[in-house]
Amino acid sequence: MIIPLTAYLIVGAVLFAIGIYAVLAQRSAVMILMGIEVLLNAIGLNLIAFWRFVRPDDYSAQIFTILIVTIGAVEMAVGLAIMLLLYRNRQTVQVDAYEELHG
Amino acid sequence: MILGPVAQIVAFSLCALIAIAGALGMATTMSMFRSGIFLMASFIGVAGLFILLSADLLGLLQVMMYIGGMLVMILFMVLFSHDPGGAMMAGMQLPIIEKFFSLGLLPREQKQEEQSQHAGNGHQPMEQNGQDDHAGHADHGDQDAEQNGHDEHAGQNGHGGHEDHEDHEHHEHMDMSMTTPIKKPAAVLAVLVGVILVGLLLLRPAWPIVAATPNPNSAEMVGHLLMGKYMLAFEGAGLLILIGIFGAVFLARAGHFPDERGREARVAVDAQPTAPEAPALQPVADADPPDAAELVGVTEIQTRRNLEKDGRGEQ
Repeated sequence: MIIPLTAYLIVGAVLFAIGIYAVLAQRSAVMILMGIEVLLNAIGLNLIAFWRFVRPDDYSAQIFTILIVTIGAVEMAVGLAIMLLLYRNRQTVQVDAYEELHG
Repeated sequence: MILGPVAQIVAFSLCALIAIAGALGMATTMSMFRSGIFLMASFIGVAGLFILLSADLLGLLQVMMYIGGMLVMILFMVLFSHDPGGAMMAGMQLPIIEKFFSLGLLPREQKQEEQSQHAGNGHQPMEQNGQDDHAGHADHGDQDAEQNGHDEHAGQNGHGGHEDHEDHEHHEHMDMSMTTPIKKPAAVLAVLVGVILVGLLLLRPAWPIVAATPNPNSAEMVGHLLMGKYMLAFEGAGLLILIGIFGAVFLARAGHFPDERGREARVAVDAQPTAPEAPALQPVADADPPDAAELVGVTEIQTRRNLEKDGRGEQ
């Protein structure tokens, strides 16, 4: 317990900021999915850090993180399937090639 | 914990450095393949942090799920992309972070392309048109972004040089870039979010920290919770995975939306119908002699494909 809780939280915050940048600024849908994974990672790190320092006797945080990982995996699989479909239609997965979807 | 204080500090700094540098490299490098590898480094760093926080089961799960499963999918999809190795952006003028994380990328036949462009090749007019077009759009976007940025964050003068640099890049190589035109506002927003979050964390006086150490056998505890209190969530996650797999297979199956090769196969079948009931599928062509029917079908499909290509070219 030499490392304070705030250090872990700062790492999580920096990861979150980088994930936001990746999601907003990247053109390719694959890169956007990678950014979402970084965001989910930051959330999981925050959860586990709080579990370890605030409620080490209640393991619900780990369950929650496992569920986050699961949902991330499902989202990745469905996202990549959609991307495969888009690629088959137009030979590109860059999101600004699908501008007409903004409604 | 078994680790001494120095070892803890060293391990934490190493894992945090790997996690943050990996994520930063993922977001900024010009090569998509390399960003996949950087993402793996970031996952490993976060897994190390989990293990340092004595959540060893989650650390292993992180490595297995993300690196064994998702990263394989990601690298598979990266190979579908337009420029997976970053060869087009490799020789360009880049901001310093992107330059650092893109070190050592080899441009694709850089010298020959440059020479041929200077000599005025057949490709040049098209490229210039495209660049002019996009430069026009980029002008608007950059001006708007600059105004927004200066209005909202007038106090932040530190980004000035950086933005000028990026302006240059946007004007010249808009089309090949891996990032959207809102890259600058996105970067400002991300830096702002990071600064606010870290500032709030540093300003927060204290969390209600408990000195107790968790049970070292965390897998057993998690298993009991999964099978007891959180059984419904566990089953729900299983159902979600099942539905997700069904959805992914259903979406990606070859059916209504054939790829280029599938279209060519259909054209070939249309041109030479082998089955006797094939003409019945084209009632218009019934009255015509078979040669004309073939021509009509083929030209229709070709014009459709041309239209599609034009539509793609405009975007």
